[in-house]
Amino acid sequence: MAALIEARDLTKKYGAHVALDRANLKVEAGRIVGLIGPNGAGKTSALRAILGLTHYEGQLTVLGREPFRERTQLMNECCFIADVAVLPSWLRVDQAIDFVAGVHPRFRRDRATAFLAKTQITGKRRMRELSKGMKTQVHLALTMAIDAKLLVLDEPTLGLDILARRAFYDALVNDYMDETRTILITTHQVEEVENLLTDVIFIDKGRIVLDSSLEDVATRFTAVAVTAARLDAARAEKPFYERHILGKVVLYFENVDPGKLEGFGEIHTPSVSDLFVAKLSGGAA
Amino acid sequence: MNNSNWLIRREFWENRAIWMIPAALGGLLLLAALFTQVSIPRLTSQQQSEEAAAAFLVVVGAMFYLVMALYAAWYLLDCLYTDRKDRSILFWKSLPVSDATTVLCKLLVGMIIIPLVYFAAANVTALIAAFILSIRARASIGSSLWNGDVWWQIQVLWVYVIVTTAVWYLPVAGWLMLLSAWAKRAVILWAILPPLLLNIFERLFFGTHVVSQIIGRRLTALPQVSFHFSKYMWTNEGGVVDNASGAPVPSVWHLINPSGFFTSAETWIGAAIGIVFIVAAIQLRMRRSEI
Repeated sequence: MAALIEARDLTKKYGAHVALDRANLKVEAGRIVGLIGPNGAGKTSALRAILGLTHYEGQLTVLGREPFRERTQLMNECCFIADVAVLPSWLRVDQAIDFVAGVHPRFRRDRATAFLAKTQITGKRRMRELSKGMKTQVHLALTMAIDAKLLVLDEPTLGLDILARRAFYDALVNDYMDETRTILITTHQVEEVENLLTDVIFIDKGRIVLDSSLEDVATRFTAVAVTAARLDAARAEKPFYERHILGKVVLYFENVDPGKLEGFGEIHTPSVSDLFVAKLSGGAA
Repeated sequence: MNNSNWLIRREFWENRAIWMIPAALGGLLLLAALFTQVSIPRLTSQQQSEEAAAAFLVVVGAMFYLVMALYAAWYLLDCLYTDRKDRSILFWKSLPVSDATTVLCKLLVGMIIIPLVYFAAANVTALIAAFILSIRARASIGSSLWNGDVWWQIQVLWVYVIVTTAVWYLPVAGWLMLLSAWAKRAVILWAILPPLLLNIFERLFFGTHVVSQIIGRRLTALPQVSFHFSKYMWTNEGGVVDNASGAPVPSVWHLINPSGFFTSAETWIGAAIGIVFIVAAIQLRMRRSEI
């Protein structure tokens, strides 16, 4: 099956600043992909390009379309939540539902109203009267009622408290996700999403550092907590990152047979956030 | 088509001033009709009464037109800027509506729909005000203020003025929308500054003022181009008479000059420039999502 998103040599420059530098990435259908990078790494530029919001260089297809040229058609099958603040303050909840129902052929009004019925939000409220968490719920209700193949979320929980964040991701996983859908999430808060992702893409300084499913991550990367006595022997296997915690040293290896590492200490698969730090902190020790 | 319908409705949700300002203006004029002193001279002849009715409707219409022009200019300057400023453009762009449709709908609202709202408000106001004044004056004046034939002529005049205004001011509207799609801040300043600087530059270095002449003519020459004003003139009593004979103009049809307006090269050169600005505004709308 063809990839849902495929980018080859995707480049975006703002004057002299290169936000995306020949990035290659691929997103398959039915996955929940985290696009993860530090601030200013090019996440937003990549998303803007994928959503047809900006011009770019290189090749990019999303759902078989060229996003910038065919944004209108693309938005029939793809939706996005940029961040929580983007619903205009003057808009009323019922107007928002009417408008999306009016212009979007795949919008199911009953689903949106059913979702909102579970909340405290009534139709006559304006966005400016709602809290950030409530606005997110409205946006999510609108988005989840659209029968889209691809959902893109750009820092969707920015500025939300912990309860609202949890509610957001629970709704996403329980009410929205199924095998016909694909979700692409960007965030710089890895811990928050790592339990729901199936794939991760790490981006740093405009380049893709890692593009892998979590199953592959488990076979490809190994972390070993090494005691001081065995450190030199372990280092000979060329870890790409070392972390010193509580008197122990954790060494991170890529594509090294775990059998070889067993003798050095306790072996585990690194978590996404640990791997992110390891990968982005640069060269080997 | 369906999308345009929703986009236009959306403009009314966002910009409640579209109907609130004309409603307020109408209310003010009605208060004036109710409480100010009425001193309409006793009209005897048919001609005098028609002139009074026409003058009344023209004055009411002109007030609405002036306020409308100011508001429409502000609307066009603001319409592609606010949603970039509050980032709600990212919500609108997540829906399958093209940028061209969005920009053209806003242009339609600014150039046709807002004028139509003011037209309707002017009519309602004139109707009620004429009724109030008739009762207050308790004389034959009242009936003369409401002359059905004159009223129909004013309708023709409004439609003609809306159409010619939309065509003639297309370059101005295009310029305002272009700035609205482009500026990162201070849209009003950006709309005024470049022509002003160009004008000063031209004066300093060439000693000419072609730029100010072109802009000045575009802003003020519409009546001259779209009416037979070289043949007729306004009298102090508010009537319009033939320059040469002093005879009154038989009807609005003699006053308007559609063939002159629509065959003038000036009209279409301006419109072409307007279209270039609007195409540029659409391109900017596609590329600039945020400030």
